[in-house]
Amino acid sequence: MTQVATTQPPQAEPAVPIERAGPARRGRHRYARAVTVFVAPFAVLFLLFYVVPIVYAVVQSLYVVQRTGTYGPAQEVFGGLAQYRLVFSDGPFWASVGRMLAFGAVQVPIMLGIALALALLLDSGLVTGRRFFRLAFFVPYAVPGVVAAIMWGFLYSPNLSPLKPITSTVDLLSADTVLWSIANVVTWVYVGYNMLIIYSALMAIPTELHEAARIDGAGRLWIAWSIKIPLVMPAIVLTTVFSIIGTLQLLAEPQVFRSFSSAVSSTYTPNLTVFSLSAIPNFNLAAAFSVVLALTTFVLSFAFLKSTQRRSNP
Amino acid sequence: MSALLRTIGVLLTSAVAVTACSSPDAAPGGTTASACAPAGDGPVTLTFTSWIPGIEQVVQAWNAKNPDIQVKVQTGPNGNGGTYQNFFNQLKAGNAPDLGQIEYDALPGFRVQDGLFDLAACDIVAQAKDQFVPWTWDQVSLGDPKAAYGVPQDTGPMALFYRADLFEKNGIAVPATWQEYAAAAEKVKAAGGYITNFSQSDVNQFAGLAWQAGGRWFGNDGQKWTVSLTDDKTTKVAQYWQDLIDRKLVSSVPPWTAEWDNAYNTDQAWTWVSAVWGANSIASGAPKTAGKWRVAPMPQWAAGETAAGNWGGSSTAVFKGSKHPYEAAKFALWLNTSEEALTLLNQKANLYPATKAGANLPALADGVAFYGDQKIYEIFAKASTQVPAGFTWGPAMTATYANASDGFKAAVSGKGTLVDALTGAQTFTVQTLKNQAIPVA
Repeated sequence: MTQVATTQPPQAEPAVPIERAGPARRGRHRYARAVTVFVAPFAVLFLLFYVVPIVYAVVQSLYVVQRTGTYGPAQEVFGGLAQYRLVFSDGPFWASVGRMLAFGAVQVPIMLGIALALALLLDSGLVTGRRFFRLAFFVPYAVPGVVAAIMWGFLYSPNLSPLKPITSTVDLLSADTVLWSIANVVTWVYVGYNMLIIYSALMAIPTELHEAARIDGAGRLWIAWSIKIPLVMPAIVLTTVFSIIGTLQLLAEPQVFRSFSSAVSSTYTPNLTVFSLSAIPNFNLAAAFSVVLALTTFVLSFAFLKSTQRRSNP
Repeated sequence: MSALLRTIGVLLTSAVAVTACSSPDAAPGGTTASACAPAGDGPVTLTFTSWIPGIEQVVQAWNAKNPDIQVKVQTGPNGNGGTYQNFFNQLKAGNAPDLGQIEYDALPGFRVQDGLFDLAACDIVAQAKDQFVPWTWDQVSLGDPKAAYGVPQDTGPMALFYRADLFEKNGIAVPATWQEYAAAAEKVKAAGGYITNFSQSDVNQFAGLAWQAGGRWFGNDGQKWTVSLTDDKTTKVAQYWQDLIDRKLVSSVPPWTAEWDNAYNTDQAWTWVSAVWGANSIASGAPKTAGKWRVAPMPQWAAGETAAGNWGGSSTAVFKGSKHPYEAAKFALWLNTSEEALTLLNQKANLYPATKAGANLPALADGVAFYGDQKIYEIFAKASTQVPAGFTWGPAMTATYANASDGFKAAVSGKGTLVDALTGAQTFTVQTLKNQAIPVA
């Protein structure tokens, strides 16, 4: 990625008509205007739908409510970090963060392992009907998460499931198993999506590299291990970061499972806690939880990125 | 680039300034003049959000006759299933509909958030007070006899739905007391079924059971709220059901799921202690059992008593910020007192009216085919008059329900008991109120 970034500007430079440039300043001015025009649509949307809501949430989280009497109207006053004190002393919330870390530690490697294996299989040329399989693996991602959760809920249900021999011996919705039942749903939905990202990275590998390796006597597995996987590492890192973010923000699947599993509580995942609080409604506290959750996600994603960068550039 | 950055900076700081200022400005409300006068010039369009099945046709009947007050109806999921959350968000954003369906248990929560227009300011509403069954008016006046935060719509008097054919075939008498109900549960289990499920994820049913037993969960003396989810009567009810759970005499099938419908449809669940609108739920969820169900009065805690619980029931409320409270009140009164609307609501959704005259609605005198032509509304009419008065709902029922439900679910899975769950919900509710600066004793 960094290589690409440094090689591009010199390429772009000669495109400026040097003869007609005149004073260098004028050219830069024209450039600035063009940049503004091109960046503006993104910047405006980014500002409206990303920066402003975040700032709003941060501001909300710093307020507390005051009122007089049992039905007195609420008055929001600045409360400093009062809401954050509640967040950090909330046992169920941190238990849910721990639950999601355990979930991620198991589910993310499994999901990405399958995605990588499928991508390599499609890329190996061993499979006929590559286009069909590429689409078939991707189809679950096109199913909305809520629909997927409802469908799997039926498959897991003890009495209605077509897999009754399994569901009548193992309760897939009990406190011990439901987290992994949800992990299975998430894996089912996102494997194809991640596979596609890795697969497109595989397609970008120049064929000369494979050919050279094959001439040198390398087998398919060896090529996959020593050439393909190292070259698609950036794509794997990217999908890992997406998955870490997705795991901590899990909401739809557990929310659906809440109605048919006794083991999924209203604070089962961090986002469910935020959702339950905003239903009370206690927007200020919900905002504080959101900010802390966002920071936790950011720290974890950033830490992961840093650790992989250090490994690749010693 | 630097110009752009500067613009972003300016926008950012102004966003902070706007959000920081807006709240205190809006706060000194509550003293705003709550006038309720007709708009006067030209036709008025009102927005109304509800989740009653078939509400569109009821509203159509109004629109056809009232060209000057047109109502646009929006439907959504049931209250705790998402509509209340939408209402709260809309109130915060200042774009709530004119009217909304709000169950009695949620009204205090909306009043605490200062979201409701006091309809007592409309003399047409104040004059209609005597048309309603007194305890339903208590549910909308929220302890202030001069106030009305909604127009009562329907009530949920409870009774016992049971499979008459299976009870008869197995020689089990229809239980009249809770002791007999527990005894019947053993016989039903021996015959291969469950007498019912314990409703772990819908605490409202348990609230109805506690209400019947004399439990009182909340109090409000004008200075402070009291929370008493573990009072003696409620504890008695919780221990009774815990015993049935421990002896595996009730199933743990979660309510309102396909699994639950299936249990009723395939003879695995034999009774349901539910509200009048539940007649619709069984008929639509268990079509194969048509004609086999009957309705009996709710089992009693002591032989000879005649108390009924109440589960659900809604009001039609007008939100603060509505520009046409008078017209909104007029529509709400028609919807909930006119014979035309009440008949439609009963036919579409088995709603049982909250008005005194509603008990004599011709539609309610008919037998219902799904119940073997039994005149089931006669039982509910009686139950409606047997609901004990004075049950007050708390100001954050969403939180109370969510936490109690978490505890109930744990108890059903063998972790802790229902009493533990109520104790937990008690602590959580008090904490929730304190976090919102709602005074609590």
